[in-house]
Formats: sequence, structure tokens, C-alpha cells
Amino acid sequence: MFTLSWFASFGFSVLRLGTPLIFAGLAAVISKKAGMMNMALEGMMLCAALAGVIFAGFSGNVWVGLLGAVIVGCIVGWVIAFASLSGMTDLYLTCIAVNLAASGGTVFVMYVLTGEKSTTSAAIRAFTVPSINIPLIENIPLIGPMISGHNILTYLAFLSVFVVWMFLYRTRLGLRLRAVGENPDAAASVGINVKTVGYISFLISGILCGFGGAFMSMGWVSFFMKNMVNGRGYIGLSASNIADGNPVGSAIAAVFFGFCDATATTLKSQGGFPSEFIEMIPYGATIIALVVISSIRISRQRKIEKGTA
Amino acid sequence: MKIKRILALALAGAMTASLAACGGSGSSGSSSSTTAAAADSGAEAAAEDSGDGGSEAKKDKIAYVVGYLGDKSFNDSGEVGMNTLRSEGWEAKTIEVGDETKADKWEDSILDVIDEGYHYIVASSSYRDILLKLADEYPENQFVLFDDSLEADQIPENLAVIFYAQNEGSYMVGQLAAGMTETGVVAVNVGIDGPVIADFVTGFINGASDYDPDIKVVKATVGSWTEPAKMKELCLSQARDQQADVFYQVAGGSGGGLFEACKELGTWAIGVDSDQYEYYKNSENPELADVILTSMLKNVGDSLVSFFHSVEAGEDVWGKENHLGLKQNSVGYVDNEFFQENVPQEVRDKMAESQEKILAGEITVKSYYDFADEAEYQQYLDAVAP
Repeated sequence: MFTLSWFASFGFSVLRLGTPLIFAGLAAVISKKAGMMNMALEGMMLCAALAGVIFAGFSGNVWVGLLGAVIVGCIVGWVIAFASLSGMTDLYLTCIAVNLAASGGTVFVMYVLTGEKSTTSAAIRAFTVPSINIPLIENIPLIGPMISGHNILTYLAFLSVFVVWMFLYRTRLGLRLRAVGENPDAAASVGINVKTVGYISFLISGILCGFGGAFMSMGWVSFFMKNMVNGRGYIGLSASNIADGNPVGSAIAAVFFGFCDATATTLKSQGGFPSEFIEMIPYGATIIALVVISSIRISRQRKIEKGTA
Repeated sequence: MKIKRILALALAGAMTASLAACGGSGSSGSSSSTTAAAADSGAEAAAEDSGDGGSEAKKDKIAYVVGYLGDKSFNDSGEVGMNTLRSEGWEAKTIEVGDETKADKWEDSILDVIDEGYHYIVASSSYRDILLKLADEYPENQFVLFDDSLEADQIPENLAVIFYAQNEGSYMVGQLAAGMTETGVVAVNVGIDGPVIADFVTGFINGASDYDPDIKVVKATVGSWTEPAKMKELCLSQARDQQADVFYQVAGGSGGGLFEACKELGTWAIGVDSDQYEYYKNSENPELADVILTSMLKNVGDSLVSFFHSVEAGEDVWGKENHLGLKQNSVGYVDNEFFQENVPQEVRDKMAESQEKILAGEITVKSYYDFADEAEYQQYLDAVAP
């Protein structure tokens, strides 16, 4: 069983499973760096997943669908920003409300448009974002079949890691965003518009969630199903927490969760393990990873304190 | 300032609206607007005379309790049955009580319809505990628990259990799977484990290994009824690791992922509950149908109709389990052109032969309910695992 092609195919599976988590993780990173915890990733992705299918189905063009997903992701992000930044509501409550509204609202919209309450798989023509083979690399044994032939959105996910890193650490807006996150009052005192930066962070979050949601419904499978995001937004959130808001670290954590998921899937089809236990693996791994990372951080902190004392 | 206020109001409104939609609350069933109005006027009268039930002239009212409609499968099939009953002059109301996340509201919703004067409460195994409790508290009402199995001494006098022999239907498609596989490995993927689902699996394995004693069956659980992505991943990994090449889904909404995986892999799929070939063939995505050899059928709607016909005829259906299988045509498989075109004559003959034998009682299909405990079922699974 453990042949070269098995490893290649397993690795391929890890990257695919990790893709939506990377997008969600990066979306969480942006919000976290701006000093906010965006718990509504789940709802944003769900809305985007439905929007992608609808826009693609009715326009007949997959790219219009992708654009629609991103726009709807932004709109949901804007709603949260408006409610919490301009309306001064509690951010956590707003996010919870958005998640609940999304899980019901997507079904409602689907029902109004198609008369279906569960899935669009029969009612809306399916479109998927194409997969591409990378020339040259695809011929390398092991690596080739592992990283070539993925969905464009998977490559975009990895590209986004770099883009988000560039944005946060190499642009003026990124610097301002981090300044607001560190200390909003200090940032305001030097003339940064804290509210605008907050809005921008949610819009970028929305774009990333838009891609993540679109991957679920137009890449991985080709239809929308109610609640199809199934907690991936929260996993992405914890990926960003593990890395303390570092985009590269978040992506690594997301791929690690993808690895846990792929392992769980493989174990499931082996039989013998109770499936409820296997279901727990990715989430158990999250908790363990959080504890390990945070204890490393604490011990490092102690060392620093000892050094200065 | 004014604009902001209006916007905020609009936002709040939108949220409330979508929350309400997600509740799918009691009275908002597709059919209810008219029936509900009628119910109000007739409620008290019906509550008064609900004594013996089923007098010649007047039919008692039926409440069909369901999580949500629109699953294009189990629940909708029941609704089709209700529509038939409605056209026959029964007054039937469908109540959507929401999925598992709303489980704490289920009992209240059912109590409401009892108070509204509905005499028959029809619900599936998900509501078993609630029905058993209410059957005790409301001896005047009669309850129909379908798709479940109970020991005879557990069934109260005012409750009828309808049991579908999903193991017999699954036996048939198990034979088909074993006949169609080239690698000798077939897969059955389920949504969430439970007794009814395990009965599907048991019958499937029984059928497959009766066809070919050396057959290997991979069984896996997705862990959700609404996770097509993970289902797809699971099937791809079963094809990769175990060379499975016929996939049977008992996974509700997650099943869509199985069909997509089969399309990608070029393998065969078997649907469940309703004719899923038909469903996709007439849809916007007909190519998904081209992997679905057949579907194991569970005629929930027909069975409810015939159940109420028996009630009307005064047959003895209460206080016991009514077993509906291949013989009653309550389970079976789809025998359409696509099936005939793609399944070799030899396999079809073998299936027809097995069906005859089951009908004649020569073959008794194994059932999950025969196992002494979960461990024995697990052993049964392990015996055929690759």
C-alpha cells in the first residue's frame, strides 16, 4: 500500500483538504492583525459558496461565479464591519449572529431561487474552477503528482500566503493595519483612521473567505449543500491563533490540519477504528497544537524575562 | 445619521428574517397555510370526539412530523404519501420541526399539533423517544413511528411501528455491486452510524458475499449528512487504497459527493431511498446520473398511504411492528433502461433469482437487529474488510 504513488496521492489529498483552511486561516490573520477576532469566517465562506454556484449557474461562466463569491464574501465582511465598527455592537455577538443567519439564510435564498432546500446539485448547472498541470514539475516523481494537477484555487491559496505576508509587512497600509491592531489609540493619535482600517481588514477577510467558499462549492465538489463548510471556518481561525497571526505559520498550521483530515479519511476506509474517534482527530490535533505552541511561547517568554532580570 | 439608522434597521430585519427561515418553524410547512386555517376552526371539535378514531364518515386528522422537506429522498417521499392521502380526503398537515440542532424544540412542536386536534402523529425513528413518551401521556391519540424497530413488549397499544426491510433492498443492490465489481472490492459509505443505517450495511454485505464469497466490502462513515466534500475525499481514498470500484451511498445529502467521486474515477455508484438516476437525469447536471446504476428504493410514501388504508379498513395495525419488505413492494431497486443497458444479463438473472428466493422465504436476509450487540456487528464488518 505504501508505494510512491500512494504517498503522492496522499500528499495531493492533504493539499486539497488544506486549501479552504488556508483561505480561512489567512482571513483570520488579517482580522487578527487589525486587532479583531473574526469568528464569522464560517458564515462568510458559506454565503460565498452559495453565491459562487448561483452566479456561475445563472451567468454560465465560472469566473463570474468566482467573482460573485468574492463580492458576496466582501458584502458579508462589510456587514460585520458596519455593525461592529459603525454600529458599535459587540463583535463576537455580531459574528455569531452572522454565522447563524448564514446557515439559515443560504437555505432560504437557495429555496427562493431553486425550490430546493438541501442542495443545488440538481437545480443549478454545475461549474468548477479548472485544475491545471504545472509543466516540468508534473514529470518529477513523487513531487509531480503531488503538487501538479490541483485546482487553480489551491495554487491561489498558496499564492495568497505570500500576498498577505507582503501586504502586512511590506506595504504602508499593512503597517497601519498592524499599528491599529497593536494599539488603536496610539494609531489614531498619529492620524490613522482606525475605522477605515477596520473596514479594510474585513473586506480583505471577505475576499479570502470568498475564495475559500468558492473552492468548497466550485472546486472540491460542484454544488452547494446546506452547511457544507462544516466548521472549516473555525479550524482556519485556530490555524491563525496557533501561528499568532503569522500568515506563513497559519498556512503551515492549515496544511497540518489538512494532513490530519487526510489521515482521518485514510483510517476511516481501513475500517476497525470507531468513526466517531477518527472524526475527533482534526479537532483533537487543534487543541494539542494550541497547547504545545502556547507552552513553547510561555517558556520562551520566561527565558527572556530571566535574561533581563 | 438618519440613513445609518435605516440601514441598521434593515440589517436587523434581514438577520431576523434569515434566522426565522433557518428555524423552519412549525406552522410554515409548504402545505400548511390552508390547512392551518382549517385546523383552527375544526380544532376544538376534533379534540372533543377523538375517542375511538376512524369512524366511517369522518377521517381523523394526520400530522406528519419531519425535520425538513426538500431532501429529495426520505422526507419528501413521505410528503408524496401525504399528498396522496390529502387527495383521498384525509386532512393531513406536515410540520417541519428542524434538524438535530433544533432537537430541544421537537417535543413542543409535536405537543402543539396534538393540542390543535391532530389525532394521528406520524414521525420517523428520530422522534422515537418523544413518541413513546407522548403515547403514554396522550392515550387518546394514535402514533405512527415509521422506519424503526422495537421489541413487541415496548410498543404501547396506541402506537404502530412501521419497519422497512432496508436489509432486503440492500441485499439486492449488494448482489449487483458484487456482480459489477472488477477488483472484488466494493464500498458502502454512510452518513452517520445508527441502527437503521447499520441494517442497510448488513443487508448489503449479506447480498454481496452471497453473490461472491470472496468479495471485500469497505464500509466508512462520513460523520455528517451534509458533507459532500468529505464524502468525495473518502471515496477517492477508498479507490486509491483499497481499489474499491462500486460505491453504495446511504448518506443523505453527503451522497452527492459519492456520485461526483464516481464520475471522476469512472466507477459505478448505487443510490438510495429514491430513484436518484431519474432525479439527476432530469436535472441541470444530467452527467451525474451516468454513474448511478440503480438506487435502492424505500417507498416511504406508498407505505404510509397503504398503512392508512389498513387503518381505514379497521385492520389490526396498532400496538405492534408492521414489517414491510420486498414482498410488500416497500423496498426494492430501480430497474430502468440504464440499468438494463449496463448490467450484464447474467448479473440481472442472478438478482431476479435471489429476489424470487427472498419472496419465497428461501433466503432470510441478515438484519442488524439480529445481532446480539454492537461487537457482533463489528465482527461481521471485519470479516469482509479487505
